[in-house]
Amino acid sequence: MNKEKIIWVKIKTDRYYNIFIKLNNVGINIFDNKKGKDYLLIKTTYEDYQRIKKYLVSYECEIVGVTGLPKVTKIIHKYAFFTMGTILGIVLLILANNMIFKVDIKTPNGEIKTLLKNELAKYNLKTLRMKKNHRQVEKIVTQILDNNKDTLEWLEIKYDGLVMVVNVTEKTKTTQEKVYDNCNVIAASDAKIISLNIYQGVALKEINDYVTKGEVILTGNIMHNEEIKNTVCANGEVYGEVWYKVKVTVPFQEDYVFYTGKKRYNLNVKINDNKYAILRSRIDKKKIEEINLYKLNDFEINLVKEKEYVMKTRILSVDEAYQKGLKLAIDKINIKLDDNEAILVKKVLKKEVNDSTIYLEVFIATKENIGVLSVIEGVDENGSEFNKTSN
Amino acid sequence: MKSLHFKDYFKNYLFDLEDFITIYDNNLHVFNYQKLNKLSDTEIVLKLINREVMVKGTNLKIKQMTKQELLITGIIMKVEFIYE
Repeated sequence: MNKEKIIWVKIKTDRYYNIFIKLNNVGINIFDNKKGKDYLLIKTTYEDYQRIKKYLVSYECEIVGVTGLPKVTKIIHKYAFFTMGTILGIVLLILANNMIFKVDIKTPNGEIKTLLKNELAKYNLKTLRMKKNHRQVEKIVTQILDNNKDTLEWLEIKYDGLVMVVNVTEKTKTTQEKVYDNCNVIAASDAKIISLNIYQGVALKEINDYVTKGEVILTGNIMHNEEIKNTVCANGEVYGEVWYKVKVTVPFQEDYVFYTGKKRYNLNVKINDNKYAILRSRIDKKKIEEINLYKLNDFEINLVKEKEYVMKTRILSVDEAYQKGLKLAIDKINIKLDDNEAILVKKVLKKEVNDSTIYLEVFIATKENIGVLSVIEGVDENGSEFNKTSN
Repeated sequence: MKSLHFKDYFKNYLFDLEDFITIYDNNLHVFNYQKLNKLSDTEIVLKLINREVMVKGTNLKIKQMTKQELLITGIIMKVEFIYE
């Protein structure tokens, strides 16, 4: 039965019982049947349909449907473009999911990047090539590391969507810290010493002493009876009070961002870091906030909230401009300081209010590490030392 | 001594010579019928090998029909054999 072509045949009649007896007499196989208003639908074979046409000539009959594989074939024929498109789409999707579109080697070192690119290309791991499975990748990583023992410390290859990400750690060439035989700690700037921690060497200055830039604070020469008995590399922490005079000019006119309250929603599609807006934006100046709606590998759909703003101008009062200027001056100094350093004193020395600006001169005293290492490299003909300063 | 009719059993097994009728729920299955003699929604008469069977009921319909088998559905009230 399955090998035969099964079809639905429509026979025009309103005498159902009569037609059944006639069909039985002719020896027609009926696998199913449905009654209509003035017709009978029977499920039979194509051969039986031919016999109905041959023997029951007075009845009008026609094929109205096919079943099984012929039905599938018929549907495929009917929707040829759709079917082809779907198949092509699935094939492309499978290909795209298993293909490398970009190789991202995470290292700032250009030489390592080139080296890895060439090594990976040997194993056919490059753009527009098929991805390899985990076991193969592990094997390749081991081989690359074996081939480049001197340059590579660690290597990892992973897939992030269509991108093959290569994480690498270079082998660090251990350089021994150079040990100097003779060095001094000198002042990096004019200051008043406020704390002194000596690890090695002899202090030439004390707390509350004033030093000028380049002046030796700790010496590496161990003296006895005005003779150099030994030389060491002086080492220590010297914190001093350093003074700055900061000049700041602040205009009274200030630009600021004003949100109008107008909002627009849009959608954007992000493919491989490239964004494509679906709707045209009607706002010129806007602040954008994105909410991710869908993400698959490197493909994203985001809901975009656009908030319109305009640049407005306002006039600062003298006090506001003064505070702004003071803050600017402090920020200017703060940027130079590290965690152990701090501003000790701040004082406005001069304040000039002009038509459109305010001019401030601010005195700032800071606690800073002023000690820098100065290596004594040798002694010239006149007995003076050649120094090389380093932090 | 009663004969076991092995030959007949074997022949029937191979060539399906005998007819039989199975009734379950609202279905009546006839195997090895020869001809459909009469058909209406209340009565169906079939010719078997050496007898006729008359099925009476309401809303009787033929669901499937091949050269050898017939499946009748409907409310079956009476099945009667008519011997010639």
